[in-house]
Amino acid sequence: MDILTQLVINGIIAGAIYTLIALGFNLIYGATKFFNIAHGVFAAIGGYTVFFFFKLSGAALVPSILAGVLLAGIAGMLSDKLVFLPLRRKRGSSVIMLVASLGLFTALQAVIAIMFSNRFQTLTDIFNIQKTYQIFSGVITRIHIVIIITVVSLTIGLFLMLNRTKFGKAVKAISDDDEVARIIGIDTDRVIGYVFFIGSAIAGLGGILIGFDTGIMPTMGMGLLLKGVIASIVGGVGNIYGSVCGGLLLGFVENFGVWKISGEWKDAIAFGLLIIFLLFRPQGVLGK
Amino acid sequence: MKIEIRNLTKRFDGVTAVNNLSLTLEGGKITGIVGPNGSGKTTLVNLLSGFLPIDGGTVILDDAIAVKKIRPHKIKSYGITRTFQDIRLFEQMSVMDNILVVLTERNLWCALFECHNPGHLQKAEEVLRMIDLWDKRDEPASSLSYGQRKLLEIGRAVSMEARVYLFDEPFAGLFPGMAGIVESILKQLRNQGCAVVLIEHDMDLIRGLTDYVFVLDSGVLLAEGRPHEVLRDRKVVEAYIGN
Repeated sequence: MDILTQLVINGIIAGAIYTLIALGFNLIYGATKFFNIAHGVFAAIGGYTVFFFFKLSGAALVPSILAGVLLAGIAGMLSDKLVFLPLRRKRGSSVIMLVASLGLFTALQAVIAIMFSNRFQTLTDIFNIQKTYQIFSGVITRIHIVIIITVVSLTIGLFLMLNRTKFGKAVKAISDDDEVARIIGIDTDRVIGYVFFIGSAIAGLGGILIGFDTGIMPTMGMGLLLKGVIASIVGGVGNIYGSVCGGLLLGFVENFGVWKISGEWKDAIAFGLLIIFLLFRPQGVLGK
Repeated sequence: MKIEIRNLTKRFDGVTAVNNLSLTLEGGKITGIVGPNGSGKTTLVNLLSGFLPIDGGTVILDDAIAVKKIRPHKIKSYGITRTFQDIRLFEQMSVMDNILVVLTERNLWCALFECHNPGHLQKAEEVLRMIDLWDKRDEPASSLSYGQRKLLEIGRAVSMEARVYLFDEPFAGLFPGMAGIVESILKQLRNQGCAVVLIEHDMDLIRGLTDYVFVLDSGVLLAEGRPHEVLRDRKVVEAYIGN
Protein backbone atom coordinates (compact mmCIF):
# COMPACT_ATOMS: atom_id res chain seq x y z
CA MET A 1 0.00 0.00 0.00
CA ASP A 2 1.39 3.34 -1.10
CA ILE A 3 0.90 5.94 1.67
CA LEU A 4 0.46 8.84 -0.75
CA THR A 5 -2.35 7.09 -2.66
CA GLN A 6 -3.99 6.15 0.61
CA LEU A 7 -3.81 9.76 1.84
CA VAL A 8 -5.52 10.92 -1.35
CA ILE A 9 -8.25 8.30 -0.88
CA ASN A 10 -8.66 9.24 2.79
CA GLY A 11 -8.82 12.91 1.83
CA ILE A 12 -11.62 12.21 -0.67
CA ILE A 13 -13.53 10.11 1.89
CA ALA A 14 -13.23 12.76 4.63
CA GLY A 15 -14.07 15.47 2.09
CA ALA A 16 -17.20 13.58 1.01
CA ILE A 17 -18.36 13.25 4.64
CA TYR A 18 -17.80 16.96 5.34
CA THR A 19 -19.51 17.86 2.06
CA LEU A 20 -22.53 15.79 3.10
CA ILE A 21 -23.05 18.05 6.12
CA ALA A 22 -21.98 21.28 4.39
CA LEU A 23 -24.43 20.84 1.47
CA GLY A 24 -27.55 21.11 3.63
CA PHE A 25 -25.96 23.71 5.90
CA ASN A 26 -25.10 25.96 2.96
CA LEU A 27 -28.49 25.48 1.32
CA ILE A 28 -30.21 26.67 4.52
CA TYR A 29 -27.68 29.46 5.11
CA GLY A 30 -28.18 30.72 1.56
CA ALA A 31 -31.91 31.12 2.11
CA THR A 32 -31.90 32.34 5.71
CA LYS A 33 -28.50 34.00 6.27
CA PHE A 34 -27.89 32.54 9.71
CA PHE A 35 -25.65 29.77 11.06
CA ASN A 36 -28.08 26.98 11.88
CA ILE A 37 -26.27 25.12 14.68
CA ALA A 38 -29.27 22.78 14.99
CA HIS A 39 -28.31 21.37 11.57
CA GLY A 40 -25.94 18.91 13.27
CA VAL A 41 -28.64 17.30 15.37
CA PHE A 42 -30.63 16.33 12.26
CA ALA A 43 -27.75 14.06 11.29
CA ALA A 44 -28.14 12.34 14.68
CA ILE A 45 -31.94 12.12 14.18
CA GLY A 46 -31.36 10.34 10.85
CA GLY A 47 -28.86 7.92 12.39
CA TYR A 48 -31.01 7.12 15.43
CA THR A 49 -34.16 6.64 13.34
CA VAL A 50 -32.40 3.92 11.35
CA PHE A 51 -31.00 2.52 14.62
CA PHE A 52 -34.55 2.31 16.02
CA PHE A 53 -36.30 0.86 12.98
CA PHE A 54 -33.54 -1.28 11.49
CA LYS A 55 -31.62 -2.53 14.51
CA LEU A 56 -34.12 -2.44 17.37
CA SER A 57 -37.40 -3.12 15.53
CA GLY A 58 -36.06 -5.36 12.77
CA ALA A 59 -37.55 -3.36 9.89
CA ALA A 60 -36.10 -3.66 6.39
CA LEU A 61 -33.09 -1.50 5.52
CA VAL A 62 -34.47 0.66 2.73
CA PRO A 63 -37.72 1.69 4.54
CA SER A 64 -35.62 2.41 7.65
CA ILE A 65 -33.26 4.67 5.69
CA LEU A 66 -36.22 6.40 4.02
CA ALA A 67 -37.81 6.91 7.47
CA GLY A 68 -34.52 8.36 8.77
CA VAL A 69 -34.19 10.80 5.89
CA LEU A 70 -37.87 11.76 6.06
CA LEU A 71 -37.89 12.24 9.84
CA ALA A 72 -34.75 14.37 9.75
CA GLY A 73 -36.35 16.48 7.00
CA ILE A 74 -39.61 16.86 8.90
CA ALA A 75 -37.75 17.73 12.10
CA GLY A 76 -35.83 20.42 10.17
CA MET A 77 -39.01 21.80 8.63
CA LEU A 78 -40.74 21.85 12.03
CA SER A 79 -37.75 23.62 13.57
CA ASP A 80 -38.29 26.37 11.00
CA LYS A 81 -42.05 26.57 11.49
CA LEU A 82 -41.89 26.54 15.30
CA VAL A 83 -38.69 28.43 16.06
CA PHE A 84 -37.04 30.24 13.16
CA LEU A 85 -40.09 31.49 11.26
CA PRO A 86 -41.57 33.24 14.33
CA LEU A 87 -38.13 34.80 14.94
CA ARG A 88 -37.87 35.93 11.31
CA ARG A 89 -41.33 37.50 11.57
CA LYS A 90 -40.16 39.40 14.65
CA ARG A 91 -37.13 40.49 12.59
CA GLY A 92 -34.78 38.59 14.90
CA SER A 93 -31.13 39.22 14.08
CA SER A 94 -28.87 36.44 12.81
CA VAL A 95 -27.24 36.32 16.28
CA ILE A 96 -30.62 35.65 17.90
CA MET A 97 -31.33 32.95 15.31
CA LEU A 98 -27.93 31.39 15.98
CA VAL A 99 -28.53 31.32 19.75
CA ALA A 100 -32.01 29.84 19.21
CA SER A 101 -30.53 27.15 16.96
CA LEU A 102 -27.96 26.33 19.63
CA GLY A 103 -30.77 25.96 22.16
CA LEU A 104 -32.70 23.74 19.76
CA PHE A 105 -29.60 21.65 19.11
CA THR A 106 -29.01 21.10 22.84
CA ALA A 107 -32.67 20.27 23.53
CA LEU A 108 -33.00 17.76 20.67
CA GLN A 109 -29.65 16.17 21.53
CA ALA A 110 -30.86 15.71 25.12
CA VAL A 111 -34.10 14.11 23.88
CA ILE A 112 -32.09 11.62 21.79
CA ALA A 113 -29.87 10.84 24.80
CA ILE A 114 -32.94 10.30 27.04
CA MET A 115 -34.52 7.98 24.48
CA PHE A 116 -31.45 5.96 23.50
CA SER A 117 -28.87 6.65 26.27
CA ASN A 118 -25.54 8.38 25.79
CA ARG A 119 -23.79 5.17 24.82
CA PHE A 120 -22.01 4.73 21.52
CA GLN A 121 -24.09 2.46 19.24
CA THR A 122 -23.31 0.68 16.01
CA LEU A 123 -25.70 0.10 13.15
CA THR A 124 -25.74 -3.46 11.80
CA ASP A 125 -22.91 -4.06 9.39
CA ILE A 126 -25.22 -4.51 6.43
CA PHE A 127 -22.69 -2.92 4.09
CA ASN A 128 -20.00 -5.31 5.26
CA ILE A 129 -17.80 -2.28 5.81
CA GLN A 130 -14.74 -4.42 6.44
CA LYS A 131 -14.79 -5.43 2.80
CA THR A 132 -12.20 -3.38 1.02
CA TYR A 133 -11.47 -2.65 -2.60
CA GLN A 134 -8.09 -1.91 -4.11
CA ILE A 135 -7.70 1.41 -5.94
CA PHE A 136 -4.20 1.75 -7.42
CA SER A 137 -2.06 1.07 -4.38
CA GLY A 138 -4.64 2.18 -1.78
CA VAL A 139 -7.77 0.63 -0.28
CA ILE A 140 -11.32 1.86 0.20
CA THR A 141 -14.25 0.27 2.04
CA ARG A 142 -17.70 -0.38 0.63
CA ILE A 143 -19.46 2.18 2.85
CA HIS A 144 -16.96 4.85 1.79
CA ILE A 145 -17.78 4.15 -1.85
CA VAL A 146 -21.49 4.51 -0.99
CA ILE A 147 -20.76 7.82 0.76
CA ILE A 148 -18.79 9.18 -2.22
CA ILE A 149 -21.47 8.11 -4.73
CA THR A 150 -24.16 9.67 -2.51
CA VAL A 151 -22.30 12.99 -2.29
CA VAL A 152 -21.70 13.12 -6.05
CA SER A 153 -25.39 12.30 -6.72
CA LEU A 154 -26.63 14.87 -4.18
CA THR A 155 -24.38 17.59 -5.57
CA ILE A 156 -25.58 16.93 -9.14
CA GLY A 157 -29.18 16.76 -7.90
CA LEU A 158 -28.90 20.06 -6.03
CA PHE A 159 -27.18 21.69 -9.02
CA LEU A 160 -30.04 20.63 -11.30
CA MET A 161 -32.66 21.66 -8.76
CA LEU A 162 -31.18 25.12 -8.23
CA ASN A 163 -30.44 25.87 -11.88
CA ARG A 164 -33.07 24.05 -13.89
CA THR A 165 -36.26 24.14 -11.83
CA LYS A 166 -38.56 26.98 -10.93
CA PHE A 167 -38.27 26.01 -7.27
CA GLY A 168 -34.50 26.40 -7.52
CA LYS A 169 -34.89 29.86 -9.04
CA ALA A 170 -37.20 30.81 -6.17
CA VAL A 171 -34.56 29.60 -3.68
CA LYS A 172 -31.87 31.65 -5.44
CA ALA A 173 -34.15 34.68 -5.54
CA ILE A 174 -34.72 34.41 -1.77
CA SER A 175 -31.00 33.95 -1.25
CA ASP A 176 -30.34 37.17 -3.19
CA ASP A 177 -33.09 39.39 -1.80
CA ASP A 178 -35.94 37.87 0.17
CA GLU A 179 -37.94 41.11 0.25
CA VAL A 180 -37.94 41.45 -3.54
CA ALA A 181 -38.65 37.72 -3.82
CA ARG A 182 -41.83 38.34 -1.84
CA ILE A 183 -43.11 41.12 -4.06
CA ILE A 184 -42.75 39.00 -7.18
CA GLY A 185 -45.13 36.55 -5.53
CA ILE A 186 -42.81 34.01 -3.91
CA ASP A 187 -44.16 32.78 -0.59
CA THR A 188 -40.72 32.94 1.00
CA ASP A 189 -41.84 31.39 4.29
CA ARG A 190 -43.11 28.30 2.49
CA VAL A 191 -40.07 27.99 0.24
CA ILE A 192 -37.70 28.37 3.22
CA GLY A 193 -39.71 25.64 4.99
CA TYR A 194 -39.04 23.31 2.04
CA VAL A 195 -35.37 24.36 2.03
CA PHE A 196 -35.16 23.34 5.71
CA PHE A 197 -36.76 20.01 4.80
CA ILE A 198 -34.31 19.32 1.97
CA GLY A 199 -31.22 20.54 3.90
CA SER A 200 -32.12 18.61 7.06
CA ALA A 201 -32.99 15.46 5.09
CA ILE A 202 -29.52 15.60 3.52
CA ALA A 203 -28.01 15.94 7.04
CA GLY A 204 -30.15 12.96 8.12
CA LEU A 205 -28.81 10.89 5.23
CA GLY A 206 -25.31 11.97 6.26
CA GLY A 207 -25.96 10.81 9.82
CA ILE A 208 -27.20 7.44 8.57
CA LEU A 209 -24.20 6.81 6.32
CA ILE A 210 -21.74 7.94 8.98
CA GLY A 211 -23.64 5.71 11.42
CA PHE A 212 -23.00 2.70 9.16
CA ASP A 213 -19.35 3.75 8.90
CA THR A 214 -18.32 4.65 12.43
CA GLY A 215 -21.42 4.31 14.63
CA ILE A 216 -23.70 6.83 16.32
CA MET A 217 -23.87 8.85 19.55
CA PRO A 218 -26.33 11.56 20.58
CA THR A 219 -23.43 14.04 20.56
CA MET A 220 -22.29 13.13 17.04
CA GLY A 221 -24.02 16.20 15.58
CA MET A 222 -21.69 18.86 16.98
CA GLY A 223 -18.48 17.29 15.62
CA LEU A 224 -20.06 16.84 12.20
CA LEU A 225 -21.53 20.34 12.25
CA LEU A 226 -18.19 21.97 13.09
CA LYS A 227 -16.45 20.23 10.20
CA GLY A 228 -19.40 21.03 7.92
CA VAL A 229 -19.23 24.71 8.94
CA ILE A 230 -15.47 24.84 8.34
CA ALA A 231 -16.01 23.25 4.91
CA SER A 232 -18.74 25.85 4.18
CA ILE A 233 -16.60 28.81 5.21
CA VAL A 234 -13.51 27.53 3.40
CA GLY A 235 -15.50 26.81 0.22
CA GLY A 236 -17.72 29.90 0.39
CA VAL A 237 -20.58 30.14 2.83
CA GLY A 238 -24.01 29.89 1.21
CA ASN A 239 -22.50 28.44 -1.97
CA ILE A 240 -23.53 24.87 -2.77
CA TYR A 241 -20.47 24.27 -4.94
CA GLY A 242 -18.37 25.81 -2.18
CA SER A 243 -19.52 22.92 0.04
CA VAL A 244 -17.84 20.41 -2.26
CA CYS A 245 -14.76 22.54 -2.72
CA GLY A 246 -14.44 23.31 1.02
CA GLY A 247 -15.21 19.73 2.05
CA LEU A 248 -12.55 18.28 -0.23
CA LEU A 249 -9.97 20.92 0.69
CA LEU A 250 -10.58 20.32 4.38
CA GLY A 251 -10.41 16.54 3.91
CA PHE A 252 -7.11 16.77 2.03
CA VAL A 253 -5.51 19.32 4.38
CA GLU A 254 -6.49 17.25 7.43
CA ASN A 255 -5.20 13.98 6.02
CA PHE A 256 -2.00 15.31 4.49
CA GLY A 257 -1.45 17.43 7.61
CA VAL A 258 -1.18 14.35 9.82
CA TRP A 259 1.04 12.46 7.38
CA LYS A 260 4.12 12.84 9.50
CA ILE A 261 2.52 13.68 12.86
CA SER A 262 -0.06 12.20 15.21
CA GLY A 263 -3.69 11.93 14.00
CA GLU A 264 -4.74 13.84 17.13
CA TRP A 265 -3.63 17.01 15.32
CA LYS A 266 -6.49 16.66 12.79
CA ASP A 267 -8.88 19.01 14.56
CA ALA A 268 -6.14 21.56 15.24
CA ILE A 269 -5.26 21.51 11.53
CA ALA A 270 -8.93 21.89 10.53
CA PHE A 271 -9.48 24.90 12.80
CA GLY A 272 -6.11 26.33 11.77
CA LEU A 273 -7.32 26.22 8.16
CA LEU A 274 -10.53 27.96 9.26
CA ILE A 275 -8.60 30.76 10.98
CA ILE A 276 -6.33 31.22 7.96
CA PHE A 277 -9.37 31.61 5.69
CA LEU A 278 -11.15 33.94 8.11
CA LEU A 279 -8.05 36.14 8.22
CA PHE A 280 -7.02 36.13 4.57
CA ARG A 281 -10.00 35.02 2.47
CA PRO A 282 -13.19 35.30 4.53
CA GLN A 283 -15.37 34.87 1.42
CA GLY A 284 -13.93 31.36 0.93
CA VAL A 285 -12.48 29.81 -2.23
CA LEU A 286 -15.55 30.34 -4.42
CA GLY A 287 -17.17 33.26 -2.62
CA LYS A 288 -20.94 33.55 -2.26
CA MET B 1 -57.89 49.19 -11.65
CA LYS B 2 -58.27 51.72 -8.90
CA ILE B 3 -56.54 52.03 -5.54
CA GLU B 4 -58.21 54.19 -2.97
CA ILE B 5 -56.10 55.13 0.01
CA ARG B 6 -58.05 56.25 3.05
CA ASN B 7 -56.47 57.90 6.09
CA LEU B 8 -53.19 56.02 5.65
CA THR B 9 -50.78 56.58 8.54
CA LYS B 10 -47.24 55.45 9.28
CA ARG B 11 -45.13 56.44 12.29
CA PHE B 12 -41.45 55.85 13.01
CA ASP B 13 -40.48 56.38 16.66
CA GLY B 14 -42.66 59.43 17.14
CA VAL B 15 -42.13 60.81 13.61
CA THR B 16 -45.22 60.58 11.43
CA ALA B 17 -43.93 59.80 7.94
CA VAL B 18 -47.37 59.46 6.36
CA ASN B 19 -50.12 61.33 8.16
CA ASN B 20 -53.78 60.49 7.56
CA LEU B 21 -53.23 60.47 3.81
CA SER B 22 -56.16 59.92 1.44
CA LEU B 23 -55.81 59.75 -2.32
CA THR B 24 -56.94 57.69 -5.30
CA LEU B 25 -54.75 56.10 -7.98
CA GLU B 26 -56.68 55.39 -11.16
CA GLY B 27 -56.12 53.03 -14.09
CA GLY B 28 -55.24 54.48 -17.49
CA LYS B 29 -53.32 57.34 -15.91
CA ILE B 30 -49.74 58.13 -15.00
CA THR B 31 -49.95 59.65 -11.55
CA GLY B 32 -46.99 61.62 -10.31
CA ILE B 33 -46.13 61.72 -6.64
CA VAL B 34 -43.78 64.56 -5.87
CA GLY B 35 -42.49 66.30 -2.81
CA PRO B 36 -39.24 67.32 -1.14
CA ASN B 37 -36.96 64.72 0.46
CA GLY B 38 -38.59 63.18 3.52
CA SER B 39 -42.09 64.04 2.35
CA GLY B 40 -43.23 60.40 2.58
CA LYS B 41 -43.24 59.40 -1.13
CA THR B 42 -41.15 56.25 -0.78
CA THR B 43 -42.82 55.42 2.54
CA LEU B 44 -46.15 55.48 0.69
CA VAL B 45 -44.81 53.02 -1.92
CA ASN B 46 -43.38 50.85 0.86
CA LEU B 47 -46.78 50.78 2.57
CA LEU B 48 -48.63 49.92 -0.64
CA SER B 49 -46.20 47.11 -1.42
CA GLY B 50 -46.23 45.64 2.09
CA PHE B 51 -42.61 46.52 2.83
CA LEU B 52 -43.78 48.46 5.87
CA PRO B 53 -46.74 47.57 8.07
CA ILE B 54 -49.60 50.07 7.98
CA ASP B 55 -50.22 51.81 11.33
CA GLY B 56 -53.62 53.19 10.42
CA GLY B 57 -56.02 53.55 7.52
CA THR B 58 -57.27 51.34 4.72
CA VAL B 59 -56.34 50.57 1.13
CA ILE B 60 -59.34 49.77 -1.06
CA LEU B 61 -58.68 47.85 -4.28
CA ASP B 62 -61.17 48.24 -7.15
CA ASP B 63 -63.91 49.51 -4.82
CA ALA B 64 -64.17 45.96 -3.54
CA ILE B 65 -61.35 44.69 -1.34
CA ALA B 66 -60.50 46.71 1.77
CA VAL B 67 -57.04 45.88 3.08
CA LYS B 68 -55.59 47.01 6.40
CA LYS B 69 -52.57 44.72 6.33
CA ILE B 70 -50.62 44.16 3.11
CA ARG B 71 -48.27 41.17 2.97
CA PRO B 72 -45.49 41.56 0.37
CA HIS B 73 -46.05 38.14 -1.24
CA LYS B 74 -49.74 38.97 -1.67
CA ILE B 75 -49.26 42.13 -3.72
CA LYS B 76 -48.77 40.11 -6.89
CA SER B 77 -52.25 38.65 -6.42
CA TYR B 78 -53.60 42.19 -5.87
CA GLY B 79 -52.07 43.14 -9.23
CA ILE B 80 -49.50 45.52 -7.71
CA THR B 81 -45.79 45.66 -8.42
CA ARG B 82 -42.99 48.13 -7.78
CA THR B 83 -39.41 49.14 -8.49
CA PHE B 84 -36.89 50.61 -6.07
CA GLN B 85 -34.99 53.87 -5.78
CA ASP B 86 -31.85 51.78 -5.13
CA ILE B 87 -31.93 49.04 -7.75
CA ARG B 88 -32.64 45.58 -6.34
CA LEU B 89 -32.00 42.67 -8.70
CA PHE B 90 -31.36 38.98 -8.19
CA GLU B 91 -27.61 39.33 -8.60
CA GLN B 92 -26.75 35.60 -8.65
CA MET B 93 -29.03 35.06 -11.62
CA SER B 94 -28.63 35.74 -15.31
CA VAL B 95 -30.48 38.63 -16.93
CA MET B 96 -32.91 36.10 -18.47
CA ASP B 97 -33.55 34.36 -15.14
CA ASN B 98 -34.33 37.71 -13.49
CA ILE B 99 -37.33 37.83 -15.82
CA LEU B 100 -38.15 34.11 -15.80
CA VAL B 101 -38.30 33.93 -12.00
CA VAL B 102 -41.25 36.31 -12.11
CA LEU B 103 -43.11 33.98 -14.44
CA THR B 104 -42.68 31.02 -12.07
CA GLU B 105 -45.68 28.90 -11.12
CA ARG B 106 -46.05 28.78 -7.35
CA ASN B 107 -47.38 25.22 -7.13
CA LEU B 108 -44.64 23.27 -5.32
CA TRP B 109 -44.63 20.12 -7.43
CA CYS B 110 -44.76 22.06 -10.68
CA ALA B 111 -41.98 24.27 -9.37
CA LEU B 112 -39.82 21.32 -8.36
CA PHE B 113 -40.02 19.41 -11.59
CA GLU B 114 -41.22 21.76 -14.30
CA CYS B 115 -38.96 23.82 -16.50
CA HIS B 116 -40.16 27.01 -18.16
CA ASN B 117 -42.68 26.56 -20.96
CA PRO B 118 -42.33 28.21 -24.40
CA GLY B 119 -44.84 30.89 -23.39
CA HIS B 120 -42.62 32.02 -20.53
CA LEU B 121 -39.53 32.05 -22.73
CA GLN B 122 -41.37 34.05 -25.41
CA LYS B 123 -42.60 36.55 -22.82
CA ALA B 124 -39.08 36.93 -21.39
CA GLU B 125 -37.67 37.52 -24.89
CA GLU B 126 -40.35 40.12 -25.58
CA VAL B 127 -39.53 42.02 -22.37
CA LEU B 128 -35.75 41.79 -22.83
CA ARG B 129 -36.01 43.10 -26.41
CA MET B 130 -38.21 45.95 -25.17
CA ILE B 131 -35.56 47.03 -22.66
CA ASP B 132 -32.76 46.33 -25.13
CA LEU B 133 -31.10 43.62 -23.02
CA TRP B 134 -31.77 40.56 -25.20
CA ASP B 135 -28.11 40.36 -26.20
CA LYS B 136 -27.13 40.32 -22.52
CA ARG B 137 -29.62 37.60 -21.56
CA ASP B 138 -27.03 35.03 -20.46
CA GLU B 139 -24.85 37.45 -18.52
CA PRO B 140 -25.12 37.68 -14.74
CA ALA B 141 -27.27 40.60 -13.60
CA SER B 142 -24.35 41.82 -11.48
CA SER B 143 -22.28 42.50 -14.62
CA LEU B 144 -24.69 45.09 -16.06
CA SER B 145 -24.12 48.83 -16.04
CA TYR B 146 -26.18 51.06 -13.73
CA GLY B 147 -28.62 52.04 -16.49
CA GLN B 148 -29.00 48.47 -17.72
CA ARG B 149 -29.68 47.33 -14.17
CA LYS B 150 -32.36 49.98 -13.83
CA LEU B 151 -33.94 48.83 -17.11
CA LEU B 152 -33.82 45.18 -16.01
CA GLU B 153 -35.61 46.05 -12.78
CA ILE B 154 -38.29 47.86 -14.78
CA GLY B 155 -38.47 44.91 -17.19
CA ARG B 156 -38.96 42.55 -14.24
CA ALA B 157 -41.87 44.68 -13.02
CA VAL B 158 -43.41 44.80 -16.52
CA SER B 159 -43.21 41.02 -16.93
CA MET B 160 -45.40 40.63 -13.85
CA GLU B 161 -48.32 41.94 -15.94
CA ALA B 162 -49.63 43.86 -12.96
CA ARG B 163 -52.42 46.43 -13.01
CA VAL B 164 -50.75 48.91 -10.67
CA TYR B 165 -47.09 49.89 -11.17
CA LEU B 166 -45.24 51.84 -8.50
CA PHE B 167 -42.08 53.30 -10.04
CA ASP B 168 -39.69 54.91 -7.56
CA GLU B 169 -37.46 57.32 -9.50
CA PRO B 170 -37.12 55.12 -12.61
CA PHE B 171 -35.33 57.85 -14.62
CA ALA B 172 -32.62 58.64 -12.07
CA GLY B 173 -29.14 58.26 -13.55
CA LEU B 174 -30.28 57.12 -17.01
CA PHE B 175 -28.81 58.27 -20.33
CA PRO B 176 -31.35 59.90 -22.67
CA GLY B 177 -31.70 56.76 -24.82
CA MET B 178 -32.50 54.61 -21.80
CA ALA B 179 -34.83 57.26 -20.38
CA GLY B 180 -36.68 57.15 -23.71
CA ILE B 181 -37.23 53.39 -23.30
CA VAL B 182 -38.62 53.92 -19.78
CA GLU B 183 -40.87 56.74 -20.98
CA SER B 184 -42.34 54.58 -23.74
CA ILE B 185 -42.89 51.68 -21.26
CA LEU B 186 -44.78 53.98 -18.90
CA LYS B 187 -46.97 55.30 -21.73
CA GLN B 188 -47.60 51.77 -22.98
CA LEU B 189 -48.75 50.67 -19.51
CA ARG B 190 -51.04 53.68 -19.30
CA ASN B 191 -52.54 52.85 -22.68
CA GLN B 192 -53.18 49.30 -21.45
CA GLY B 193 -55.32 50.77 -18.65
CA CYS B 194 -52.82 50.22 -15.83
CA ALA B 195 -52.47 52.62 -12.93
CA VAL B 196 -48.91 53.93 -13.19
CA VAL B 197 -47.45 55.76 -10.21
CA LEU B 198 -44.30 57.76 -10.80
CA ILE B 199 -42.18 59.14 -7.98
CA GLU B 200 -39.89 61.70 -9.59
CA HIS B 201 -37.87 64.81 -8.76
CA ASP B 202 -37.47 66.01 -12.35
CA MET B 203 -40.38 68.42 -12.79
CA ASP B 204 -40.01 68.54 -16.58
CA LEU B 205 -40.69 64.81 -16.66
CA ILE B 206 -43.65 65.24 -14.32
CA ARG B 207 -45.08 67.99 -16.55
CA GLY B 208 -44.54 66.04 -19.75
CA LEU B 209 -45.52 62.58 -18.67
CA THR B 210 -48.09 62.59 -15.87
CA ASP B 211 -51.85 63.03 -16.08
CA TYR B 212 -52.35 63.88 -12.44
CA VAL B 213 -50.05 64.86 -9.59
CA PHE B 214 -50.15 64.53 -5.82
CA VAL B 215 -47.74 66.71 -3.86
CA LEU B 216 -46.72 65.46 -0.43
CA ASP B 217 -45.00 67.41 2.28
CA SER B 218 -44.10 65.97 5.70
CA GLY B 219 -46.42 63.04 5.09
CA VAL B 220 -49.53 65.07 4.31
CA LEU B 221 -51.19 65.88 1.00
CA LEU B 222 -50.22 69.43 0.10
CA ALA B 223 -51.85 69.71 -3.32
CA GLU B 224 -53.29 67.66 -6.15
CA GLY B 225 -54.44 68.20 -9.70
CA ARG B 226 -53.15 68.50 -13.26
CA PRO B 227 -49.37 68.87 -13.33
CA HIS B 228 -49.21 72.31 -14.99
CA GLU B 229 -51.59 73.81 -12.44
CA VAL B 230 -50.24 72.06 -9.35
CA LEU B 231 -46.60 72.80 -10.01
CA ARG B 232 -47.40 76.52 -10.20
CA ASP B 233 -49.19 76.41 -6.86
CA ARG B 234 -47.52 78.79 -4.37
CA LYS B 235 -47.68 76.20 -1.53
CA VAL B 236 -45.92 73.65 -3.74
CA VAL B 237 -43.19 76.07 -4.78
CA GLU B 238 -42.63 77.05 -1.14
CA ALA B 239 -42.45 73.42 -0.03
CA TYR B 240 -39.72 72.78 -2.61
CA ILE B 241 -37.62 75.92 -2.33
CA GLY B 242 -38.66 77.21 1.10
CA ASN B 243 -40.16 80.51 2.05
